[in-house]
Amino acid sequence: MNNLRFSINLKNLQKVVSFLQNREIYIYLIVLSVVSIVTFIIYYTNGLGLSYNDARSHLDIGRRVVEGLKPGLAQLGSVWLPLPHILMIPTVWNDFMWHTGLSGALVSMISFVITGLLIYKFLKELGVGAIGRLIGVLIFVANLNILYLQSTAMTEMLLLVTMTATVYELLLWFKKENILNLLKSAFFAMLSTMVRYDGWFLVMFCIALISIEVYRKKGYKITEGVVILFATLAGFGIFLWFLWNQLIFKDALYFMFGPFSAHTQQEQLEIAGNLATKGNLLFSIKVYLFAIAYNSNTFIALLGLIGALILWMDKRIKVSLKIATTALMAPLFFNILSLYLGQSVLFIQGLSGNTWFNVRYGITLMPSIAIFIGFLVDRLKTLRIVTIGLLLFVIFFSFTSLDATTIDDAKVGSSQKNVSEVSGWLNKNAKDKPGFVLISAASHDAIIFSSGLPMSKFIHEGTGAYWEEATTNPGHWARWIIMRTYDNQDMTYRAVSKTPDLIKYNMVGKYPFADIYELKDDYLPSLITTPILGKQK
Amino acid sequence: MKKIYFFYSFILLIALILSLRGLQGNPNAYDLNQSSWKENGPFELSPERGRFTLLYSVIEDHSFYFSDQLGQFARPDVAVSKGRYVSLFAPLLSFITIPGYIIGKYFGIAQVGAFAIISLFAFFNFLLIRSISIRVGANRIAALLGATVFLFATPAFAYAVNLYQHHISTFLILMSIYLLLHSRSVWSLFLVFFLCALAIPLDYPNLFFLFPIGVYALGRTITTRYQGNNFKIRFNFVKFITISAMTLPILFFLWFNQVSYGNAFQLSGTLPSAKRAPLSKNVTSNTSLESQFAVPTPPVNAANNKSALGFFKTRQMLNGFYIQFISPDRGILYFSPVILLGVLGAFLAYKRKVKMVPLFVAIIGANILLYSMWGDPWGGWAFGSRYLIPSYAILSIFIALLLSYWQRKIWLLLIFIILFGFSVGVNTLGAITSSANPPKAEVLELEKVSGLVQKYTFERNWDFLRSNNSKSFVFQVAARKYMSAVQYYEILAGLIILSGLSLTTILLISGRVKRKNNK
Repeated sequence: MNNLRFSINLKNLQKVVSFLQNREIYIYLIVLSVVSIVTFIIYYTNGLGLSYNDARSHLDIGRRVVEGLKPGLAQLGSVWLPLPHILMIPTVWNDFMWHTGLSGALVSMISFVITGLLIYKFLKELGVGAIGRLIGVLIFVANLNILYLQSTAMTEMLLLVTMTATVYELLLWFKKENILNLLKSAFFAMLSTMVRYDGWFLVMFCIALISIEVYRKKGYKITEGVVILFATLAGFGIFLWFLWNQLIFKDALYFMFGPFSAHTQQEQLEIAGNLATKGNLLFSIKVYLFAIAYNSNTFIALLGLIGALILWMDKRIKVSLKIATTALMAPLFFNILSLYLGQSVLFIQGLSGNTWFNVRYGITLMPSIAIFIGFLVDRLKTLRIVTIGLLLFVIFFSFTSLDATTIDDAKVGSSQKNVSEVSGWLNKNAKDKPGFVLISAASHDAIIFSSGLPMSKFIHEGTGAYWEEATTNPGHWARWIIMRTYDNQDMTYRAVSKTPDLIKYNMVGKYPFADIYELKDDYLPSLITTPILGKQK
Repeated sequence: MKKIYFFYSFILLIALILSLRGLQGNPNAYDLNQSSWKENGPFELSPERGRFTLLYSVIEDHSFYFSDQLGQFARPDVAVSKGRYVSLFAPLLSFITIPGYIIGKYFGIAQVGAFAIISLFAFFNFLLIRSISIRVGANRIAALLGATVFLFATPAFAYAVNLYQHHISTFLILMSIYLLLHSRSVWSLFLVFFLCALAIPLDYPNLFFLFPIGVYALGRTITTRYQGNNFKIRFNFVKFITISAMTLPILFFLWFNQVSYGNAFQLSGTLPSAKRAPLSKNVTSNTSLESQFAVPTPPVNAANNKSALGFFKTRQMLNGFYIQFISPDRGILYFSPVILLGVLGAFLAYKRKVKMVPLFVAIIGANILLYSMWGDPWGGWAFGSRYLIPSYAILSIFIALLLSYWQRKIWLLLIFIILFGFSVGVNTLGAITSSANPPKAEVLELEKVSGLVQKYTFERNWDFLRSNNSKSFVFQVAARKYMSAVQYYEILAGLIILSGLSLTTILLISGRVKRKNNK
């Protein structure tokens, strides 16, 4: 009477377990998809979905390919690598998809789901059991920064999925030596090179790993062949990007040294004394490690490190697989190197003044950390429950304290600009009136997006003859001009200030990020208000 | 062996008594507000004052509401509820120390009596660490050394001689572990659940540290086994209802909240506190700095938007880890490097599949993680990282195991004794001087205000000692006539270090003898 007894038939239990195991991947797929959709809805409804100005710029780039005064592929430009915008093209033509950000978020959401599945499959290949696999995926999914970035039109999730897929296929190739896996790895690496420059480093890193592995097993000649095979496909995206820059901008290195390149921006930061990581390796390491800790959570990052060490010291794991898994660390080396070389900039509150900037770069190691923790949980047999408990403990508090550095980066850091005054003015005063708005997309893309006006209402530097005409004779072409007065880095001001037409305008608004000029009524009769230049090449 | 144990324990008990802080007399509310009792005396920091205020108010005024004088004494960590001063702290510590206060009052040393209760619990912890270490496989001498490390070579020493909750929290944890190791009976389970619940009105974060123990105890109610094709689960209902032992402490807690705050579910920490006054310009002495936060001002009803969970933020974890482990103002590395040997012990214990290692790791993990997420990982003005005292206790058990496993490795014992000596030296300094060390972050501001160089490491305690100051009760009432504070410190620290050194030597010799006999 003191005891309550239950008995479970092991055969029945086994049936349930094998039923679930056979459908494990589908269960993950469904759960990840539901999480993805629900999270998008949450961030869309609370207004945070498009907090990053960069997210709005990405959406505008995609939109300009299909709509505007000069639509076409040339609108992909050279500021950012093209894949994220190419993937938006099928949906961004729709106003709802454009203005909700769903067109870009959809790419991130799909990437999120696939990355989750890749973590699961990666762990399976490492011989990790069901609990370790579950925890690995959970670590990735229950990260508020990941959840935020998958709900917005940023490029991080697409980068993560392409990089994780590259390393996963590389792992399979190291394990099975099936050439198809090598080709798949090269293909995904190629995709990653068209998302962010992190992918370029990954290609080089993979080449180094492949060289070591093949040379170790088969000598120089075979190594040469395999590396050429991998590099040809993996480097094809890079080749295309050089070609694109040559064809469109007449300079294959335009993306590297052009006026909108990261290099040029970093040069300006350096002049202003804001590039403290350049030439300082220790500070670069510190800044990036802090970014990892803030993005993935300090405790989770530490456990990830322990997991990595255990994986690399595990005698049951083949040397080949250990070599392959080091590719998971490529983002760490890339980011430190690029900070050290002054190719990228990252501000951590407390280390780099009182602001955040690009702190989201720390998220690129998140799938790797999730994989290492999944492995750790699998190996720590007697401490498994405790480790899971402590992880859940920390995750619980990350949710109660709404700890998402990426949102702070977007909302209060240097990545944000409150453009609502200017865009709100345009929406209120320009929406229903004929005439074009002259504006530099490079400087004010967020204003273009937030105004809610059609892209064809704007004359920007990508509109060819319209831009040339409007910057020479603004009074004939632009009813409104948006620019930062006296700032020569604003291309509109640089061009318009040289013309006598500026006296034809009244300044109707002066705001921190841009001023608004409106053509005086006397000049309205001679204003061109429709696209009369026809289709341009 | 028993003789060694009793003799050694007796010496350490004497050392603890010699370090106990206090003043002679039975202070009233007016006396308590004098600097000789506050910043220059035993109530140097507001957590001690807050707890003592409740004790005093209950015994002398028969009320949970503080008089204005007591409210001023408890500032700045005093809550305001319905316009009246109430305690900002969980209440149990004040109630537990009542017997000590009453006995002490009888002898004219009321405050010392109250503080002595904490020392008593600290000594119980010493005994419990020894017993637990032996039960999980440590050598008896190593177990004694492990217990000594906890009590005298960590900041637990400084908090064994004043009025803080940490030693009682640690006692509840260790006692629960001991009961789980000692017996599988219904009554021991009953007691474990009782202790788990008792920990909450003592200090709210205890909920998280005793949670793993509660889960472990709950596991005792279920047994599983394979029988043929079946997986059998037996659920012991009688053991399960021992969980009802939690009722009494929880009812006490709810009753206290209802009477004090008018809401049984109101946690004191979430109440608006009396507003802090700005730093005064006339700060002159090192010891009075903390009190400058407590300049009387009228109570301000701040917006009550505090939530219990809101105190913990994962964003603060990186800084929290730094503060707890490597910062010069609180870090283990500076204050108690010997305890880090416990990590090696934990690793060896895990490899050897020692019973209870997962539970120990869970407690340490919850302790470190929780306080690394806490907005004030420094623990205010404090000596060392006081929040990690439960972890020091568990790590001391691991040290006992390490010394048992490797008792013949001279290099290890050498490292141990060097680190032990350093850690005892630092922590004895903290125990007999002051716990009022500011966080590094406040030092610049303090220097600006005071015009003095402000130290934030244990150097501050050394300066205090060299000015011939000690807050030790025995020193102040008796020893001062015969020696300086520095000499008092040297004798005390020397006594503890010598005891540890003797025991380490015995450990080494016994290990060698054992090996010789085995050959």
